[in-house]
Amino acid sequence: MNWTLMWDSLPRLLAALPLTLQLVTLALAFGAVLAFATALLRLSGNRVAVALTSAYSFVFRGTPLLVQIFLIYYGLSQIEFIRDSFLWPVLSQPMWCAILALALNTGAYTAEILRGAIETVPQGQVEAARACGMSRLRVFRRIVLPVAIRQMLPAYGNEVILMVKASSLASTITMMEITGVARRMIAQTFAVFEIFIVAGILYLLINFIATRLIKHAEWRMTPHLRARA
Amino acid sequence: MDQHLIASVGRDGPAHRHPPSNPTAAVAVQADGIHKRFGSLEVLKGVSLTAREGDVITLIGSSGSGKSTLLRCINMLEVPDEGRITICGETIAMKTARGRTMPANSRQVDRIRTRLGMVFQNFNLWTHMTILENVIEAPVHVLGVPKGEAIDLARSLLDKVGILGKADCYPVQLSGGQQQRAAIARALAMQPKVMLFDEPTSALDPELVGEVLRVIRQLADEGRTMILVTHEMDFAREVSSKVVFLHQGRIEEEGAPDRVLTNPDSDRVRQFLSRHLSAA
Repeated sequence: MNWTLMWDSLPRLLAALPLTLQLVTLALAFGAVLAFATALLRLSGNRVAVALTSAYSFVFRGTPLLVQIFLIYYGLSQIEFIRDSFLWPVLSQPMWCAILALALNTGAYTAEILRGAIETVPQGQVEAARACGMSRLRVFRRIVLPVAIRQMLPAYGNEVILMVKASSLASTITMMEITGVARRMIAQTFAVFEIFIVAGILYLLINFIATRLIKHAEWRMTPHLRARA
Repeated sequence: MDQHLIASVGRDGPAHRHPPSNPTAAVAVQADGIHKRFGSLEVLKGVSLTAREGDVITLIGSSGSGKSTLLRCINMLEVPDEGRITICGETIAMKTARGRTMPANSRQVDRIRTRLGMVFQNFNLWTHMTILENVIEAPVHVLGVPKGEAIDLARSLLDKVGILGKADCYPVQLSGGQQQRAAIARALAMQPKVMLFDEPTSALDPELVGEVLRVIRQLADEGRTMILVTHEMDFAREVSSKVVFLHQGRIEEEGAPDRVLTNPDSDRVRQFLSRHLSAA
C-alpha cells in the first residue's frame, strides 16, 4: 500500500466533492418535486393520472440507472426533434443529463415512499379534521402531510444514501465528480486500490453526514414520539 | 376511593333527569327519511329525527342497528343515499352524479360542519400536535379566530374538562379518558350549535368511563343540544330528553327515557334492555 500516493490523491479527490454534492442535491430537489406531484396524481383516483404515474414508476424502478443515464445522454441526442428544440442547450450537457436521470430515478422511488406514508395516516384523524369543517386541501396541508413526512423520513434517508452512491454513475458520461476523478487518476498511476479506497472514504463521509442530518430532522419533527413515557 | 364515593352519591342521590324537549324551541337538527346503503347492505331504511335546541337525544340499539351511521350522516361523514339533512334551518344541498348521491357544494358542507362538534369513539386527536394545538387548530385555521383569543378559549375549555395541566402534552402521553376529554374540548372550541357523540366511552377502560360521562353530563346540564350514541343505559336515562331505539335501520321506538327504558312498547326494546340493564 502506497500511503504517500493516497495522501497526495486527497486534494484532487476533495476538489471533486462539490460536483458530487451538486449532482446529489439538485437531483434530490427535482426528484422531491417530481415525487410529490406523482404521489398526488397516483392518489387522485383519476384513471389516466394513475395509469401514467404507475407506468413512470414501473419503468424507472424497473430499469438500471446506468441504462437510463446512457439513454438520456446518448439516446436523446439521436432525435432530431430534441436537437432542434429549446431543450437542447440543457440536454446537450452531461451535467443536466446526469441530474435528469438521477432525479427521474429518485422521483419514482420517493413517490412510492410518500404514497405509502400518506396512506398510513389514520383515517380517524382525517375524519376529525373534516368534521371540524376543514376543506380537503387544508386537511392535506395541516394533518395528512405533516404526519406523512414524519412517517417517510427513515425510508427517505435510505433513498438519500442510495442517491449519493448512484451519483458515481455520472462518471460514465464524462462527469468529473469523485468517481470520475478517481478513475482518471487510476489511469495515470495504476494505483487502483489506493485511490478507490480514498474515494470510498469520501462517500462514507458524505453518507455519515447525510444520515446524521436525517436523524436530526427525524428527532426534531417527532416530539410526540419522544414524549411517549 | 374518592371517585367511588362520588359515583355512589350520584347514584343514590335524588334522581337526576334532563328536562323534556321544549316543543317551541327552534329545530337544530332535522333528518328526513335517511337511507344509507353499504353495497347491498341497507344500514338505514328511512330514518327521521328532530333535535330541538336544548334537546339531548340518545340513540341506542344493538350493534349494526345503524345508530352510528345515522349520527355520521348528520355531518355528512357518511353521505346518505336518500333523505334530507337540515342544520339550524339550512338544508344540505345534494346532487346525483354517475348514479351516486353526494353533496352539491362541499363549501356548504364544510360551513355546516363548523356548527356541529363531533366526538369519536377513538378520540382521533391529531397525534403530531400538543393538546393545546389540537384545540386551537380548527378555530384558527377554519374560523379565522386570532391565535391569542383561540388560546384563551382553549385554556378555559381544557380547564373545564379538567386537563389544563396537560395542555402542552402530546396525545400519546394521556390516558384514554384524558384524550377523550381533550377531544370534547376540541369540539367545543368551535362553539358548535350541536354536539354529536359517537360512542364516546366505548373505547375506554371501565375505570375511565366515569370522568368522560361527568363532562358530557355537565354539557347536558348547561342546556347544550346534543345527539349521542351510547351503550351506557343508566347514563342515557339521566341525561336524555329523548331516547331513540334503532333496530335494523329503522326506529323501533322513541320517547321519554323513563318510559322507553323502563316500560317500552316493543318486545325488541324489552329484550335489548334485559341484556344491557342486567349487566349494569
